[in-house]
Amino acid sequence: MSAVITANKLVKQYGKQNALDGASFSVEAGRIVGLIGPNGSGKTTTLKAILGLTQFSGELSVLGLDPRTQREALMNEVCFIADVAILPRWLKVRDAINFVEGVHPRFDRSKAEKYIANTKLRPDMKVKAMSKGMVVQLHLALVMAIDAQLLVLDEPTLGLDILYRKQFYQNLLEDYFDENKTILITTHQIEEVEHILTDLMFIENGKISLSATMDEVGERFTEVMVEPQFAAAANALQPLSQRTVFGKPVMLFDGADRAQLANFGELRTPSVTDLFVATMKGSYA
Amino acid sequence: MKTMKWLIKREMWENKGMLLWTPLAIAGAIAALVLSALAMGHTQDIQVDGHSLNSITIEGTARLRIAETLAQAYIGTGMPVLMVLGLLVFFYCLNALHDERRDRSLLFWKSLPVSDFTTVLSKALLALVVAPLITMGIAIVLGLVMLLATCVVLLTHGTNLFGVVLSSPDLYLSPLRLVGLLPVYILWALPTVGWLLMVSSMARSKVFLWAVGTPVIVTLLLVWAQKALMFGIDAAWFANHITNRILLGVVPGAWLAFSKSDISIAHQEHKLPLPDAIFSASWSTLGGISVWLGAAAGIGMIAVAVYMRRRREEA
Repeated sequence: MSAVITANKLVKQYGKQNALDGASFSVEAGRIVGLIGPNGSGKTTTLKAILGLTQFSGELSVLGLDPRTQREALMNEVCFIADVAILPRWLKVRDAINFVEGVHPRFDRSKAEKYIANTKLRPDMKVKAMSKGMVVQLHLALVMAIDAQLLVLDEPTLGLDILYRKQFYQNLLEDYFDENKTILITTHQIEEVEHILTDLMFIENGKISLSATMDEVGERFTEVMVEPQFAAAANALQPLSQRTVFGKPVMLFDGADRAQLANFGELRTPSVTDLFVATMKGSYA
Repeated sequence: MKTMKWLIKREMWENKGMLLWTPLAIAGAIAALVLSALAMGHTQDIQVDGHSLNSITIEGTARLRIAETLAQAYIGTGMPVLMVLGLLVFFYCLNALHDERRDRSLLFWKSLPVSDFTTVLSKALLALVVAPLITMGIAIVLGLVMLLATCVVLLTHGTNLFGVVLSSPDLYLSPLRLVGLLPVYILWALPTVGWLLMVSSMARSKVFLWAVGTPVIVTLLLVWAQKALMFGIDAAWFANHITNRILLGVVPGAWLAFSKSDISIAHQEHKLPLPDAIFSASWSTLGGISVWLGAAAGIGMIAVAVYMRRRREEA
């Protein structure tokens, strides 16, 4: 497997604030990577750097190209949905398809039309007449019809209701993703993406604080529902975090011995949300 | 080339109301006014070239001269439409690179493999070529409708000019002359189009204020410095050569004012017909250096706009 993205010591400053403070990571082909971090941690700046929408220092290679200088070539291979509702209000469904077909060499018109046929979108509908969910459907239809190697999604389902959100990720998995494609997602709705992710990256204060496959995450982190009588002993192993459920302490351990933990109570694989909350505890302090 | 075609189409989708329907509506209003005036009989005193045309059959040289004047001047009825072109191009350029940031569609356009250079070029082409051609087309059709109406009215008064007008070479040359002025228009409009596109690519908000306020305030400051502080600045030169050129260059025919051309002299002394005189005077303005300096400055400012679109980050 080859790396689709390799980043080495990315630094980006807004005034005196470091949005990116030496972030290094790599993303392999054929993965679905979640880039997760609190507000202001540098998620969006990272994506902008990858898409050539911002200047920065450090080394970054996306599909072998430098986004700073080879942006146009890169956009033939990379697609992105940056936020909801960024399609212009005057655009008609038909015109949108015609336009993207006209300017994008890898656009497959029939795919977009097939996808749109399953929605309430009609060819002469304008974006301003659509609901937020329909705008995202149109955008997704355009993007999914492009045979790109890398798809970047920045909060793609922000403001959508649960039906649209579920459908969005389902379509992405069933109709778009395959082993030749790589998807990079940032979102705050972690619980909705965690089951589709293959890799996880946490970003905190402009640095990557965790980068692992979901399998590795499952092996490394363990959550124990500790029986009250073992609480002190469990605490001695320095859990990452501790919360209380039904009167029992639930502790999250990083790299602890599972056999030993099993003595304290029921073992569980922590959800990404719990992991996120545990590792990011201090970031607003 | 294919990309450029779609970019131009894109601009037309977005600005159809402004670039097509506005001149059409104005042309329609003019046609409606004139035609209803003709139909309601406010034609007791039609005069063409000093000849009253009331129920007298005109023959001979007078008839030929009237036909010649009509064939030369009918394009003139499209003048109001052409004047609107200046406004349309002005506001089109002002919003061209600002709207896509304001409605945040910029990131969608940037997600497609179209370079910033090509995009800005498409907007400049629309302002300098497509919009003028649309307006000229409408003006020509309006002129032809007016000419037809006039001939019909004259026919009801007993003078049939159709044959003479149709065989007059001026009938066919007038539209060509108008379209032939497009290169002159492009060169003189470049500084304004460049300035407006540049401001459009830079200003966060209040684009109009930046575009108009900046040069006007600078001019006023210079006038003040000249008058009150006795600085050796020629504020009038600045107003004429900078402020006017970057704000009024999109007005068709502005070049005649800018270059203080000798159009009236050519018309009177050499007995050239007026349309010919305008045409040749317009082209002769290209002999001066100032048009080329302005065009170069315009291209420079368009280059800045490309750079800004490439580098500018969303706030």
